[in-house]
Amino acid sequence: MTHHEVEKYSLSARWFHWIITATAIVLAVTGIFLYVDAFGGAAVDSYSRIAHRVAAVIFVAAPVLWFLAKPGRSLEFFKQIFSWGKDDIEWLKAAPGYYFGGDESKMPPQPDMNSGQKLWAFVAFWSALGFIVTGIFMWFFKDSFSSGVFTWMVVIHDLCFIVGGAMTLVHVYLGAIHPKMTEALKSMTKGTISAEYAKTHHGKWYEEVTKGKEAGEAKAE
Amino acid sequence: MAKAILFDSSKCTACRACQVACKQWNDLEADETTNRGTYENPPDLTPRTWIKMRFTEVEDNGQIAWLFTRRACMHCTDAGCVKVCPTKAVFHHADGYVGYDKSKCTGCGYCVEACPFDVPRLEGNKLTGNTKMEKCWFCEDRVDNDYAPACVKTCPTGALAFGEREEMVALGQARVAELGGDAHLYGEEELGGLHVMYVLSHTTEDHGLPVNPEVSPATTLWQDILQPIGYGVVGVVAAGLLLNYVVARARTVKAKEGK
Repeated sequence: MTHHEVEKYSLSARWFHWIITATAIVLAVTGIFLYVDAFGGAAVDSYSRIAHRVAAVIFVAAPVLWFLAKPGRSLEFFKQIFSWGKDDIEWLKAAPGYYFGGDESKMPPQPDMNSGQKLWAFVAFWSALGFIVTGIFMWFFKDSFSSGVFTWMVVIHDLCFIVGGAMTLVHVYLGAIHPKMTEALKSMTKGTISAEYAKTHHGKWYEEVTKGKEAGEAKAE
Repeated sequence: MAKAILFDSSKCTACRACQVACKQWNDLEADETTNRGTYENPPDLTPRTWIKMRFTEVEDNGQIAWLFTRRACMHCTDAGCVKVCPTKAVFHHADGYVGYDKSKCTGCGYCVEACPFDVPRLEGNKLTGNTKMEKCWFCEDRVDNDYAPACVKTCPTGALAFGEREEMVALGQARVAELGGDAHLYGEEELGGLHVMYVLSHTTEDHGLPVNPEVSPATTLWQDILQPIGYGVVGVVAAGLLLNYVVARARTVKAKEGK
């Protein structure tokens, strides 16, 4: 079988992903300074807070710009992460067998985002929203409300960090470390995955993008 | 041994020498203020004003009573600020009071929100977050060398006393018995026992102090429950991923060898 590559993520999507990655790393590291008492010393004199705020601005601006530039694609994304069906339940049930045992037989065919990726996107979306809303509050409206309200905002900010952070570990692991996920990282760097991988991991999507085309027409490498 | 300051509102004449002595000893500049039609000045605590007298007028048996209430850090045992400070810049000194090491302050401002008495103040650029907190530090440099805090030292009427906490409690209780009526000792039990106690001539409300000051449930939830849960969740997830890696890796190697 000849080796074909199909484009999974456009150049702009990859840029978007890595900009968010970079800002998220800065936000997480400077946030951990205040979360973990042992690292508190690193936050002295507030430089980490300035970095946190600069990164936060980019973290908010990037999705807004992305949405304005690609409203159709963005709405499609939201439609996808909020619609959960029978296939998703089946996928999640079969997932442990696959990720631990390598048993692929029970995994239903998937669109461009499989149920696991959808779950990640879903959690990432809500925790990002939580971070942004509480963060804006903590930054700009600290003096406008009672101190009780502020403290609850910090609590929610922390909660988002725990949930979003734990899911990020899973995301990084499955994207770059899990022995079976050979193409995920490549899809986000070079933008392509092999046709074979696409067929087995994103069957529905592969059918769609190759519909009406010969397989050979899919971006060959 | 725990030390404490005892303030007796019935002896205070609001001369505000304590405010001046605090600024002098701690090298704090004056705050520029405008005439608001009251002798009370400055209007509130600021990063450069760590102590001030609050003037309150209340009706007392058809007469006006003019109350003078000290406003400064109360040096709680169950201190919200110490609980939330990420760097332990605010800390419990061996003498019981809440000390402050400004060099460790990150300016996060959590203490400002956690304080039930609205005492800590942030100074700096709030937009960038490059700030530092300021509050009474119990004149640690003086107290460590067996001197009374500057405010106590200067008080001309004996409204401020300083010493072992037990002695201050006894002194306060004796004074309360002497005054009778609404007089009571504030701070003996509040928040695990304050290291600044007040003999109040009128009710706690009349003096504008919180009746049952407490560290908010949100602060406790955040520091004592949520943060440890965070460590637990991240630990469990990381362990799960490691386990998965070991298992999946072994399978992959086996599958390759099988070919």
